[in-house]
Amino acid sequence: MAPENTRRWGMAIETKRCIDCKACMVACEIENQVPLGKHRNWVGHVGPTGTFPTLGLRFEPGNCMHCENPPCLRVCPTGATYQREDGLVLIDYDKCIGCRYCMQACPYDARYFDETRGVVDKCTMCAHRLDVGQPPACVETCVGGARHYGDLNDPNSEVSKLLATNEHTVIYEEAGTEPKIFYIS
Amino acid sequence: MENPEWGILVVNYLFLAGVSAGAFAISSFATYIGGPHFRRVARIGALIAPWPVMVGVGLLVLDLGRPLAFWHLFMVVQYASPMSIGSWLLTGFVVLSLVYAALWLPAPLNNLLRVPTHPRALPHFTRWTPLTPQTIRRARAILAALGFPLSLGIGVYTGILLGAVPSRPFWNTPMLAQLFLFSAMSSGTATVLLITALLGTRHETGFEEERRLLVSTDLVLIILEVFMLIPFLLHHALSTWSSASSIELILGGEFTLWFWIGVILLGILLPLAIEGYELFPVVLREGATRYSLALSAASGVLVLVGGFVLRFVFVYAGQVSHFLPVVAR
Repeated sequence: MAPENTRRWGMAIETKRCIDCKACMVACEIENQVPLGKHRNWVGHVGPTGTFPTLGLRFEPGNCMHCENPPCLRVCPTGATYQREDGLVLIDYDKCIGCRYCMQACPYDARYFDETRGVVDKCTMCAHRLDVGQPPACVETCVGGARHYGDLNDPNSEVSKLLATNEHTVIYEEAGTEPKIFYIS
Repeated sequence: MENPEWGILVVNYLFLAGVSAGAFAISSFATYIGGPHFRRVARIGALIAPWPVMVGVGLLVLDLGRPLAFWHLFMVVQYASPMSIGSWLLTGFVVLSLVYAALWLPAPLNNLLRVPTHPRALPHFTRWTPLTPQTIRRARAILAALGFPLSLGIGVYTGILLGAVPSRPFWNTPMLAQLFLFSAMSSGTATVLLITALLGTRHETGFEEERRLLVSTDLVLIILEVFMLIPFLLHHALSTWSSASSIELILGGEFTLWFWIGVILLGILLPLAIEGYELFPVVLREGATRYSLALSAASGVLVLVGGFVLRFVFVYAGQVSHFLPVVAR
């Protein structure tokens, strides 16, 4: 693994492989002990589109986009939200006062308020697993093989190869957030 | 309406901070016009200013997930975070407005304005030297001058807090800061107008001048508000899909009645009509302002109701607005 300051963790999601089984959500909730009723990742539904009989339905799994230019970080009044050297957007729970300004600023609704702890929380891309060389729980468990992760700076990583050979988009590109979750459809 | 993250406590805070900012601004304005006619406006504005914002900040701290961790706000200055800048601004404003209020204490309470002139007098308050009237006047003038931009800053900040969030299209327009500023100034002026009307004493010298100052200032501020709301609606309507869709929340959507009845009718049109009626003889040069306690109380209360509903509509509707398209989860 490359040193932390040269890594750029990202994800590529092949939406046509997603079957809406929500195993990624279950895996995440167990791995990260997410409070009941809250979610760090999700499966969105686009459609049905078209007219009968040529109908389409697309699933769009997602989680925190770990934006290069994170609006949540910009508005945080205490510096609790920070960007690690490898690009992951994380929260220092000691500094978070639970003002929820970041939740207003995130266009992806990727954050939730943990009432029990009084802090805001979200996907860490399983930083604790990445740091020991394991894949994020949602990626590891994905039944259809829709979720891929890796170092965007490493041209030989799985994500880099996928993105090099497939057309891809990001969500709300016009927001200028430069998300690091890429969608291949 | 789904349960928004920022609820009624935040609405109250934005409203109360606005009242304080407006009360301070009208007080320092009156201080600078000077003369005996406007002393009561200056004093009442000054005596009111610190309290609503302090209650508001208290509510804001209670709204935090970890109220006792609020001090983290003051460990750092985050230049890009309106809330961080606002926290420092509020602290400065509260301290300054408390000192300013003390300087406007009426007799005999102004007897409390003393400074220790000798180190040995320090533990004995009675031995402190009372401030001379000249020192008090100078201090008031200095604090009014320093506090005026600070109070405008508080008024603008309450709008920037919401307006600086691109992912909420309903909020994300530069008009919001000005709208909240004018609304704050108007709310503060209306509070002073209400209190002076309740205190009455038509016999006191300068009552007519005082009514003219307060009613005409408030009238101008309400008109400025109207000319912030018009571009607000137009710019949204003529902007991107997300932006144009967001104002449907007040143009047929779930906040339509709140906005058009609460903000426009009760908060703007009725006070405009009342204050216009009060000032009309002056405009025609046919005599003094029309005054009755009922009219003044009505316009003051209506402006405050409108200011509160304005913040309610913006805080709640903004949190429903979203970049489009939204993918259902």
